[in-house]
This record gives sequence, C-alpha cells and structure tokens, in this order.
Amino acid sequence: MIARSLISFLLALGAIGPACAAAFDCARPYTLALHEHGLLYSADTDSGIDKDVTDELIRRSGCKVTVSLLPRARIWQLIESGALDFSLSGISNAERERYAGFAWYFSNKYYLLVRKDSGVQNLAAFEGNERLQLGTIRSFRYSESANRLVDRLQAANRLNQSSGLAPLYKTLMLNHIQGMIIEPFDFPALEAKAIRDSTSIVEFNDPSVPHGLIMSKRSLAPAEQAQWRALIDGMRRDGSMRRIFDKYFKPELAASMLDFQPPP
Amino acid sequence: MTPEREPKAGANLLLLLPWLILVAMLGLTWVVWDLERTSTRKELRSEFDFALRETVNRIEQRVASYEQMLRGVQGLLTTTDLTNRKAIHDYVDTLQLDANFSGIQIVGIAQRVAAQDRAAHVAAMQRLGNPDYTIHPESRNDMHVLVIQREPYAGLNMAPIGLDIWPDPVRRLALEKARDTSLAAITSKVHLSIDTEAEAPSSFLMYLPVYAPDQPHNTVAQRRAHLIGWIYAGFHMNDFMASLYGKQSPGLALSIYDDVNPSPSALLYRTGDDSPGRLPGSAPPLTATEYLVVAGHTWTLSLSTQSEFESRFGRNAAAVIAVAGAGLSGSLALLVWFMITGRARALRLAAEMTEELRHMAQHDSLTKLPNRALFSDRLNQELARARRNGDHCALMFLDLDEFKIINDSFGHAVGDELLREVAQRLQLAVRATDTVARLGGDEFVVLMPELQGSGAALGLAEKIRSALHAPFLVNGHTLSISCSLGVAIFPDNGDDEISLTKSADDAMYRAKDGGGDSVRIGHLAV
Repeated sequence: MIARSLISFLLALGAIGPACAAAFDCARPYTLALHEHGLLYSADTDSGIDKDVTDELIRRSGCKVTVSLLPRARIWQLIESGALDFSLSGISNAERERYAGFAWYFSNKYYLLVRKDSGVQNLAAFEGNERLQLGTIRSFRYSESANRLVDRLQAANRLNQSSGLAPLYKTLMLNHIQGMIIEPFDFPALEAKAIRDSTSIVEFNDPSVPHGLIMSKRSLAPAEQAQWRALIDGMRRDGSMRRIFDKYFKPELAASMLDFQPPP
Repeated sequence: MTPEREPKAGANLLLLLPWLILVAMLGLTWVVWDLERTSTRKELRSEFDFALRETVNRIEQRVASYEQMLRGVQGLLTTTDLTNRKAIHDYVDTLQLDANFSGIQIVGIAQRVAAQDRAAHVAAMQRLGNPDYTIHPESRNDMHVLVIQREPYAGLNMAPIGLDIWPDPVRRLALEKARDTSLAAITSKVHLSIDTEAEAPSSFLMYLPVYAPDQPHNTVAQRRAHLIGWIYAGFHMNDFMASLYGKQSPGLALSIYDDVNPSPSALLYRTGDDSPGRLPGSAPPLTATEYLVVAGHTWTLSLSTQSEFESRFGRNAAAVIAVAGAGLSGSLALLVWFMITGRARALRLAAEMTEELRHMAQHDSLTKLPNRALFSDRLNQELARARRNGDHCALMFLDLDEFKIINDSFGHAVGDELLREVAQRLQLAVRATDTVARLGGDEFVVLMPELQGSGAALGLAEKIRSALHAPFLVNGHTLSISCSLGVAIFPDNGDDEISLTKSADDAMYRAKDGGGDSVRIGHLAV
C-alpha cells in the first residue's frame, strides 16, 4: 500500500516536473560573479565560456541576475557568506562542500606549465629543485596531486600567488616563476610564440576534475539549488552546453570535457 | 665460560646505562626541540600568510570602494550632461572626499572630442565660464580626451583645464581598457598633472567610462561607438595606502611595485625597512610575492617579516627546551650513574677496609713487618713444605744488644725510630724469599726457606750482624748498636715449630751470654 502510494507520488512529481521547469521560480533578483581566466572570461572582450553559460542560465530562468567581475578568492568568500548567489566553473573540496552546492557540467585535467630552461621533465624534478618557484592563483584548487604540490611548495616558501592569470604568464616569461598550473582554458595563451617556445607541459596523473555552477548554500535553499541544477542538466541534455564549448575548443576536446560522470 | 664472567658482563652493561640514558634523553630533547621549532615556524608562517591575505584584501576592498564612489558619479551622469559642472561639483562636494576617501587627490571628468569638433568644444567651454580655456598640449591627433573639470576645485586642482590626456600612452592604455570593458581601469605608475614639482609622489589614476545615455553598450563595438567621456580619480599611492581600512600587522616590510617586475623605477610604495639588523643565527625572514590584479591592472606586493614580527608571533620555547633538556639529560644520567655505581663503590670501600684490617691483624704497627701470628703461619707452611721435599730451612732469632739503654737515654720516640730503621736494614739484607718479622720489643725473627745447609744460614746471619754495625742516624743522634743472633736449622736443630723456636732462642741467649754481637747455632736435636 505504502509502496503504491509512493509510486503514484513519484509519478505525480514526474508529471509536474516539466511544468515547474517551464515556470521557473525567481524568488528574487540574484547575483552572479565572473572571474577573468583564459577562455572562461575575458573582460577585454567581454566574452568567454562562463559568460555564455551565464547568459543561457539567465535566458532559461527568466530571472534577473546581476553579473559582476571579481577576483576568485573574493568570490569564494562571498559565496561562503551568502552575499553572492552564483559563480561558475567551480571545483569542490571538503571545505567548500560546507557552504556551496554544485551543478556539474564539465570536467578537465590539470597540467604543469614549466620553463624549458628549468630542465624539469616531471613533477618530482620540479618539487626537488629548491630554486624553482611556482605561480598559482589565490584560492584556486586543482586535482589531487597538483594540490599536494601546491601545499608543499607553499610550506617551503616557494609559491607566488596572484589574483589573476595574466600576471603569471608575464612573470613566467620574466623567469620570476618557473612553473604554473594550467587548464584547457589557458591553452590559447600558449599559442603566443614566446610562451610556446620557452615552455613545456608536464601532466599530473590525476583523473579529470568536475567543474560546475557554484551555488551559495547560505543564500539558496536546497529546493532553489535543485531547480538551477535542473537548468544545467537541461543544457547538457539538449546540446546547448556542447554548442558553447564547441565555440572555444576543438570538437574532440569539447567532447572529452563534457563526457564525464557527475559526482553524486 | 667461567661462571664469574656473566655477572661481570652484566655489570659492564649496567655501567653503560647512564650513557644510554644520556643519549636517549638528549635524543628526546632534540625531538621535542625540533617539534617546537617546526610548530613555531608553522605558526609564524600561518600568521604571515594571514597578514599577506589581509593586506591583499584591504587593498582590493579599498580599490573597490573607490570604484564604487566613481560609480556614483557615473550614475549622476546618466541623469545629466557631462558638462554640467555645477551638478558634478555639488555631487562631489556631498561625498566629503576628505573624510571618506582621503586617498583621492582629485575627481575629474574627461571628455572625448573628435578633431573636427575642437573649435566648437573650445567655444562651448569658454561659454561655460572658462574664458581662458585652450587645449594643451597642442596636437594634430584625430581624437582628444580633454580634462574639463577637476574636483574638489581647490589648491593644486585649480590648474588650467583643457589638458589632452589621450597622447600619453600610459593613460591611454587605461582609458581604452575602461572604454572597452565598461569596468574601472587603473593606470601604471604616473605623475598626476597637478603635481608640478620634480619629485612628485608615485601616483595612479582610475578611469570609468561614460557612455551616451539611452545607447546600448553591451559589446565592445557599441562601447567604442557610444563613449562620450570618462570619470577619473587620481591617487597619491602613499595617501591611498594610508586610507586602507584596518591596520597593517607590525614588523612587516611591504613594497608595492607597478606591474610584475619589482624594479626600483616601478616602486609605488614602501613601508618598513627591508634590511633591518637581524640577530646572527636567526632564521631567514619569511618573504612572499603576490601579484594583485586591481581594476584590470597588476601590482606586485612584496611582503617580508622583520625581527619585530618574529618576536611578536614566534616563541622562544625552542631555546628553553634545548637548554633545559640538555641540563636535565645530564643530571639524570649522573643520578643513574651514582645509583648504579653506589653498590660497587661501597663494596670496594669495604674490601679496602677489610684488607687494611687484615694487614693490621698480621703486621706489626711500628715496623710494618709481619707479626708473630703471620710469621708462625709462614713457618708452619715452610716446615710442611721442607718436610715433604726433604729440604732444609732455617729460623733465626735476633735481639738488639743494650737496646734498653738507648730507649732510656734518648726516649721511646728515638727507640721506635731505631727499630724502624733496623727493620729496613734487615729487609735489605735478607733474600727476597726470606721473611723478617718482629715478635715484640727489640726481638726479630727471620725465616730462611729452601736452604742448602747450615753454612748458608750462618753466612746470612753474619751478613745481618754486619749490616747492623753501620751507625744509624736517628733524629739527629748517631747511634751504634750490635745484635745477638741464634740460628736453628730444620730438621737438624728441631723438626717442628716449638723445638725449632726453642733451639733458635737458646742459641740467641747463648750469643747474648757470650757478650753479644755474635751468632750461635742451635744444638743438634736428640
């Protein structure tokens, strides 16, 4: 009897689900912050993957969303405090799980970009040479072994932090840092001849790390998070997410980034 | 292995114990010292990281608040014209820049003017109450960006308007960035045009674009097409840093450089001495470089600790642990050494005392020669040996002649000293295997084992007698004495202790009776 009631309840939920999606509940105006990072967003051109995903979310939800540009570290602080509702392309860890919900839409690997003249062929060689400095973006987390490298180098006073990506390329070229961690969004920068000629790429042997829409648990109730998560899932299902990624990546790379099993 | 060796090995191991304890305790001290040092370093590191993060936050937030202030002026300009000088003046006046935004030197308006509109622009500005308005410096560019208003209108800010800032590549870069992004943009290090002195303070400008009202500016192309001017704010870097909220942790040296290359010419700001005198042997300072992207422009922050920071947040427990640990280790090892060797030292003392007592029991206290008991023991042993081997041995009794007179004339002290000297001469005269003993008073005995015959015994007796003939120098007195000797040979003059003693004693008395200073041999036993 109970089982039958449950089934009919679930069926009813299934029936009203699409109706809910059609009439998205915009409880209030929302806030979303972008951060400048390679193909994710460039203020100079006011374009990028995150911008496109934002525009699509705004279009589908029909909600008023105020978009601002902030340093990544500030974004995480504001998400934690609840002063900011959303940001994009976030990765999780135990600490962030406390205050942020995620709606996953792509995954990617991390790479160590090193100066060729540092003679580094692998991760251990970079860590082992005390003269080499690593540049990272404040508050950024990466895959497991990349995080481990960053934490160890920070303890050894070998980390130069930045609130943006652009200064890291410049300092890499000036040889003030000898390595930095990059993602596929950063590949276009490598097309600059000076950077391509003087650097090489070392892979972290970690699985791809899922990235997603960051939602502040403080400002968004679980039900609200669920409806935004459903929007993202819809974009993945109907191919609009793939169309966005195809604008920025070769089809194979776009496919590999979007083809992943979202964490539970 | 003999049974005695095991306890000895055990005792040796026991003697190693204090050393083992010393090594273990010093090891433990090192571990604790190292832990404390590491944890102090970690704590210092985390305080330093926190200070760095705080510094970055404070700068970012302050830049954001200045941007917000400019956004207010931007908002005003959506409701009024760029050349509405009074409205802008009144608005800036209500901001109370002195109190709220003390880092700002100037809030200004810059208007974009196409080359073909120059004359109309100058005429319009002159109509607005600036009869001397001219565009300077003169240029033939097809576009000008002209400063048309500076607020607050006082002091240096009253410099002539009409300055064309577009030809300056540093300003132009930021102007273009602000125009294309519709965001605030900061210039590289500049000298503000109002600062006319040669050593002008390091400064920067922040621009926000103003687009024509009711025109879209969603794309870069639209923004370029519909831009009419910029609002800007000029900052002296020192005043900007002084206006930050909160307080910089003491004991930190902070330098800020323009862009990513920390060269002297790019230095924007410096506080704290970079190279204060450090205590020799102290850990190197913690340093960090952080690239700060503020309003689209990069500043390099260089932060390092000074001794004050380290003494404030570091602890000196490591040194205390090292000294106290080493001291305690030494004390404990010493204590254990005392406890372990206490028994051994007591036993050694007891053995020494026993030996001394045994010596006292068997020797004459005055001459240190064997006494009657020890002599009797040796005599019996020698008799048993001689009897077993069919050997000879001799017993000799010796008595000093007229010793009583010396004692009575010179006192006991001289008498005792003379007896000691006699004992020494006797020992020098006899063979190494012979035993000289004192029976009491001036009576001595000599045991001569393994004797070839009575001739040898008599020869030795004569040797002794003549040895004592030489004068003695005692306490300043020259004394000459003689002695009477009686010799008994085993087994000829007796075959046991009693008979042999009696025979020697008899012979000695016969010598004495004969006037002394002679040797007599015992009668043959019957």
